[in-house]
Amino acid sequence: MPSLVVRFAACLIAAAAAAPAEAGGGPLVPRFVDETEASGIRSVYAGDWEYMVGGGVAAFDCSGDGFPDLVFAGGTAPARLYRNGSERGGPLRFQAVESGVELDRVTGVYPVDIDADDIDDIVLLRIGETVVMRGLGGCRFERANEAWTFEGGDAWTSAFSATFEAGSAWPTLAIGTYIDLDKGAMPWGNCAENRLHRPRVEGGRPARGFGPPVPLAPSHCALSMLFTDWNRSGIPSLRVSNDREYYKGGQEQLWRVEPGKPPALYTEAEGWKSLRIWGMGIAGADLDGDGFPEYFLTSMADNKLQTLADPKPSAAPVYKDVAFARGVTAHRPYVGGDIRPSTAWHADFQDVNNDGFADLFVAKGNVAEMPDFAAEDPNNLLLQAPDGTFVEAGDRAGVASTRIGRGGALVDLNLDGLVDLVVANRWKDAEIWRNTTAGAGHWLQIRLADDPPNRDAIGAWIEVRLADRIIRREVTIGGGHAGGQLGWWHFGLGATATPQVRVLWPDGREGPWQAVAGDSFQVIGRDGPPRPWTP
Amino acid sequence: MDKKNDRPMLSPHACARSRRARVSRILALRPSRTPWLPKAVRSALLAACLCLFAGWSAMGAAAAAGPSKETPEAILKTRYQLVLELVRHTPTYSPPVASRSFAYLAVTAFEAAASGSPRLKSLAGQLNGLAPVPAREPGAVYDEAVVLEAALADATRSFFQNTGPTGQRAITMIARQLGAAAAAGVADDVVARSAAHGRAVAEHVRAWSLTDGGAVVENMGFPLTYAVSREPGRWVPTSLIRQQQAPLLPAWGANRPFAMPTGAACDLPPPPAYDETPGSPFYEEARELHAASARLTAEERAIARFWADDPMLSPTPPGHWISIAVQILEAEGAPLERRLDVLARLGVALADAFIGCWHTKYRYDTVRPVTVIRKLFDPAWEPIMATPPFPEFPSGHSTQSGAAAAVLAAAFGDPYAFTDATHEADGLPARSYPSFRAAAEEAGLSRFHGGIHFRSAVTEGLKQGACIGAHAVRLSTWR
Repeated sequence: MPSLVVRFAACLIAAAAAAPAEAGGGPLVPRFVDETEASGIRSVYAGDWEYMVGGGVAAFDCSGDGFPDLVFAGGTAPARLYRNGSERGGPLRFQAVESGVELDRVTGVYPVDIDADDIDDIVLLRIGETVVMRGLGGCRFERANEAWTFEGGDAWTSAFSATFEAGSAWPTLAIGTYIDLDKGAMPWGNCAENRLHRPRVEGGRPARGFGPPVPLAPSHCALSMLFTDWNRSGIPSLRVSNDREYYKGGQEQLWRVEPGKPPALYTEAEGWKSLRIWGMGIAGADLDGDGFPEYFLTSMADNKLQTLADPKPSAAPVYKDVAFARGVTAHRPYVGGDIRPSTAWHADFQDVNNDGFADLFVAKGNVAEMPDFAAEDPNNLLLQAPDGTFVEAGDRAGVASTRIGRGGALVDLNLDGLVDLVVANRWKDAEIWRNTTAGAGHWLQIRLADDPPNRDAIGAWIEVRLADRIIRREVTIGGGHAGGQLGWWHFGLGATATPQVRVLWPDGREGPWQAVAGDSFQVIGRDGPPRPWTP
Repeated sequence: MDKKNDRPMLSPHACARSRRARVSRILALRPSRTPWLPKAVRSALLAACLCLFAGWSAMGAAAAAGPSKETPEAILKTRYQLVLELVRHTPTYSPPVASRSFAYLAVTAFEAAASGSPRLKSLAGQLNGLAPVPAREPGAVYDEAVVLEAALADATRSFFQNTGPTGQRAITMIARQLGAAAAAGVADDVVARSAAHGRAVAEHVRAWSLTDGGAVVENMGFPLTYAVSREPGRWVPTSLIRQQQAPLLPAWGANRPFAMPTGAACDLPPPPAYDETPGSPFYEEARELHAASARLTAEERAIARFWADDPMLSPTPPGHWISIAVQILEAEGAPLERRLDVLARLGVALADAFIGCWHTKYRYDTVRPVTVIRKLFDPAWEPIMATPPFPEFPSGHSTQSGAAAAVLAAAFGDPYAFTDATHEADGLPARSYPSFRAAAEEAGLSRFHGGIHFRSAVTEGLKQGACIGAHAVRLSTWR
């Protein structure tokens, strides 16, 4: 629709004039200060072959003070929870606390409020039994597999996402698995079965707790999953990114997960194109303002950025790769001189300079001394320009670490409106950077307060109207690599000091546009005006 | 005696009719043009495949309880199973690079065995630059299984070293298991002497390999800088992958071949000259391909898929033909020397095919169909296969399939019906062929059906392959 394109282009041009930028042109390069040493975080993702993937970190508020806390997967070492002791706008400070999460063989961590008590619970992906843990408050957790009738199985779990299906009293969890543990010597072609844990049904009525897991067959060694409403149908589908190193006959997948129906793969006849990559992470964001998410898929060498070929509500799932055109292939180290291709893991879109354009972070690191791939593989921080292209700034921003990256989180850890960064590394200490960018734009952080059972309104869309355009985010749990975050949803506003915001709730209800103050935290429920929150 | 056994360069074990009949029963190697196997035959094939892996598992179990003596044939079979997997899981192994590794592995195995065989004749002096391998101690006792396993263990590490952590783990585990199984029941001094000799042969071949021009492959074979021609009709990038904006291995054609004198030994006349004029040979070839792509049958799509042999998603095209040979040799129950002979010739032919083909590709540097058809006929045209990132003429799969067919026909007979189950684990049913030539022609045509080659690249590629394969056929491997 040319008219929309023209309008959007006009918006971009107008926004470009207002967005924070470098004096010589280009997006404002943020400044990150490495505060690893003083942060109190000492976390290494440890282990040999069984831990070549995983190593995630979860960011969510388990203490109730609004500041995100962190849980790291430890591999052969116990998982650890670090409570956030930072002051607002101050240095990043954390303290390891006994929390109940200290299990070993943990590969990934995702937060989700399963029992709708407004206290985040967590799911621990492991080699062995997957464990769901009930949040008790005060950063304490207890095992809940039995209480919630969750069958943890015995597998190498490696991916997670959650959704709340319409009419259910409980979330649906997707658990991705990697190589069949029984096929150690010759694992190729032996991917274990992914599982969908849907709510229990009792006497034909939805009940609390999980029913027996439903296999998501065929499974192709998943390393990332994301429930996402790719076509804005109101019913999220499940994207699964798979590692072609281990499957035979596999590909990337999109599962139709409709309430009351068995999950079904989108097929070639429906437009789904076979794509076979070393899929390791998924990040979604509406980058072009058309209301439909783009998806960045991490891999080895070239990464992918997929956009709907024909974006409209009845769209077929036909995607085209625009990574090259947008400048996000991130296929090779850009500093350090290692010419070999890169290996990408966690990815996330966040606006790190508050210019109103989502930027892209990619954690990089060799699988394990793979000679075909870069050993010194710097993380990427790709800044989005108003024209939709991205420019590498990891080195200039100070985050081009060449430790062996795996998981990560971009989240405002000291609640100053600037997105900070934490990266979990294999065999080496995790790193944490404080965003201290001067001259960044305005910002807004929103937390949704929905009715039970979906207290965090997973599946909602938050829209923010700037002076000249609308930016939006889908509220999801999952994706990335082996770790996720829950809590404040951050928006950079550029020059807009007083944006309007509205919520498209998971059941389709459209909230009203309401003006809020920029540079503020707002809690939005279904009724009433946004409630300002102050740390 | 079968006519093919009159050829002096072939194994004396080749293709007795009674054996062929037995093998045909086991592997459904039947003189049929039926493309699809009956269910019962597929089951038999699957059972045969499962037996291979069952043997592997049993070996592992035996190792835990104390290994039992393993035959050299079984060691060779397991080693090839391993490397066919490693190639699939090692990104640097594009088809040319994979073919090189297969060739050196096979030559290592052949020379290790030939050094103690009264019947095998060394390839030293026949393969370009290969000097005689270290000799065995006169009068000393050697165990052939230990010699072979030691040689192959080192060759695997030398030529398949770029694999990832799972591949490295498999290399270590298989070496441990096979090493113990080969040495079971053998006197320690014999084991030590045999292993040392196997390693010496492997080192000799490794040192030889370092001077061929293909030992170092950077950035998966894609040059960091490359001047793409601006001339009409020349290759231009067709991929949205950044790494593939330069073509794969542009200097590979200058590598030292194995059996043919140089990469130019089987060069081809030029393809139809680039010409956008309707009615010109080039234009008509493009129009033919465009029209054919619009009416592909299910069978043609299946052929394209079966022979796609994508790097990193399959054993690659040369690995596909090696898989075919391994299947037939296994079904034949072939003795070690025959296996080594066939695999050495095949490995050499495939590696030379990629050298010769690459020489011709970069000599003519021709444009891919996707570029032409989008310009002349349909800007939105999409071939059903991903277009490889290098020049079009001739078709690499055609050249190497032509070479493979020449070697295998010489080794097993012509016609020789067989069934190929290489891709069953990927969900692609086995396919049957009346002859190696028929399989090679289908492999070549798969590139036409797939929309990545014009017809002349297929037909000329097959001719080039036959020429290159003849060099391997002429090798003298029997005393």
